[in-house]
Amino acid sequence: MIALNNIVATYTTVRGQVNAVDNVNVSIPNGNIVGIAGESGCGKSTLLKIIYGDILYPLSLSQGSINYGIEGKNGEISTKDIGQYWFKRISYIPQSSMSSLNPVVRIRKQFLDFLEPGQNKKAILEQVREYIKGLDLPPEALDSYPHQLSGGMRQRIMVALGTYFKPDIILADEPTTALDVVVQKGILLLLMEIQEQMKNTILFVSHDMGVHYQISHKMLIMYAAKVVEFGDSEAVFKAPMHPYTRMLIEALPTIGDAKEREGVSGRPPSLWDKLVGCRFAARCPFATEVCKTEEPEFLEHQPGHFAACHHVDRVRQA
Amino acid sequence: MNLIQYILTRVGAYFVILFIGITVTFFLPRLMPSDPIEGYINQIQTQAGQTMDPEAITKLRQSLRELYGLEGSLASQYVNYLKKVLLKFDFGPSLSGFPKPVSEYILQALPWTAGLLGISIVFSWLIGNLIGLLAGFFHNTRWATVLEVVGVVLYPIPYYILALVLILLFAYVWPLFPLSTTIRPGPISLEKIRMIIYNSFLPALTLVLAGFGWNVLGMKALSFANKEEGYVKFARLKGVPPRTVMFQYVAKNSFLPQITALALSIGGIFNGALLTEILFSYPGLGLRMRTAVGNGDFNMLYGTVTISIIAVATAALIIDLLYPLFDPRIRYQ
Repeated sequence: MIALNNIVATYTTVRGQVNAVDNVNVSIPNGNIVGIAGESGCGKSTLLKIIYGDILYPLSLSQGSINYGIEGKNGEISTKDIGQYWFKRISYIPQSSMSSLNPVVRIRKQFLDFLEPGQNKKAILEQVREYIKGLDLPPEALDSYPHQLSGGMRQRIMVALGTYFKPDIILADEPTTALDVVVQKGILLLLMEIQEQMKNTILFVSHDMGVHYQISHKMLIMYAAKVVEFGDSEAVFKAPMHPYTRMLIEALPTIGDAKEREGVSGRPPSLWDKLVGCRFAARCPFATEVCKTEEPEFLEHQPGHFAACHHVDRVRQA
Repeated sequence: MNLIQYILTRVGAYFVILFIGITVTFFLPRLMPSDPIEGYINQIQTQAGQTMDPEAITKLRQSLRELYGLEGSLASQYVNYLKKVLLKFDFGPSLSGFPKPVSEYILQALPWTAGLLGISIVFSWLIGNLIGLLAGFFHNTRWATVLEVVGVVLYPIPYYILALVLILLFAYVWPLFPLSTTIRPGPISLEKIRMIIYNSFLPALTLVLAGFGWNVLGMKALSFANKEEGYVKFARLKGVPPRTVMFQYVAKNSFLPQITALALSIGGIFNGALLTEILFSYPGLGLRMRTAVGNGDFNMLYGTVTISIIAVATAALIIDLLYPLFDPRIRYQ
């Protein structure tokens, strides 16, 4: 279980400090694909950075802690020493495979250059060759330079890299956005298959609710630096508790339904302002007076289904 | 297939450049209104007084024209010239050092120039790029700023001022090195090599310092920009050690434009040679060229200019041909 305990992540800028992730308190059970959704600037990527332990100036973890539930060399791993376990226990699949591979170095060399010297890289490389065969990649792909592979193959290489050492946690930051839909599907199926075999926890960031619907076991919805809803995908998609989630789902097109879709109108509040009450209130059709003055608590309304809204019942009935 | 095409294009361009260069050096002096042979005859006549036989003058004119390849139509002169230069590397006798052929003078001077400039350009490229790489990669540390300032300060100083200051400091005020180059002839021995290094050190130092600021600034900007590339960030997130990130990721990619810059700076090699060799009276091609201008030694001028065209084009060709070794995107399409 990955437990995020009251996480506050702060960026220090010339204008002052701003909390890009504000008081996130969620426990993620092991062996799930967790979809993280929310609009740009809501703190998805910052949350991933914090979990990955990539905390460099101007970002800082100003409050809270993370329990990864992984035993390392010196007891339980914390955000301080997670760096030693990168790609062995926790890995990261970046957004664009296009620019994430060094264009002038062979892929086999990039595959293992984070290992400490002294390990038998040749033998590992032979195993990698076997491994990528299972990912629908020709073994020769390892000997190529990135520009010789197609976009889909490159992304498969990234998946291979992120999964080869069977890490406990995989963070995927929009791994399919740069690909066309057919290739995208292939990559998603591959990730699901690998997850089923290895039973790792995947945190999967995407803007695309359709993708989430297909692959995520659990959904985590973020809005203006806060987690507003968390629960099993099935429950979240069927009966969302937060009006923002509801509006995101209603914006999804379905085949055969000719009804015009409505987006979520308005813009999220600026994190620079002093925010009082519910952060979604200004855009929310369910909002009442209480929403403007009192911040809703993030509560477990059904077993395993959390939301931060004053009007959960009204949202569910509507 | 693509690589073969790449090589053929470069080699083809090389020969076209040589041909154009040699053609221009042939035609340019012939466009001048003065005739070197008439000038020479006039000079003899005024020295000898009025008594010269007109028939002897005609004969003299004839043999001089033959000697300097000035007989026949312009077209046949041109063909003869090409034949002599390209096949026999023959520029005729030196006018001021008659009858010693120009090619002999050139072969004597060429190793000096090529050695001095080749070594100092490569050194200033290597050191400048290494410093630029460090300054760009560790751009947020104080010592990186110091390194960059070295480049910013050195870069705009004109070469002749830099050279004169160094001569003043290290050859006059604090005489570590000789004021002008004196190298006794003799077979290659340890003693001779020591003498060559002793005499060439200061001119080489000025060339290294002059070229180096530009390399520092260029490489700093390149590696600083390269550090923000996705693959560098991803390498860091993979936990690749910083040394490997710097050399395998940032340096390998930032060096590519700098290799082109090296080819370009080799193009300017003979500009440098002229000034350096005059300032240090260094026995290379540049000094020969200048003496030839002073003495009106046309053949010598032809020879030195042609050889500099060949040398620069060849150096650029070699670098062009080496480029695919560094960039796989050219090697494998």
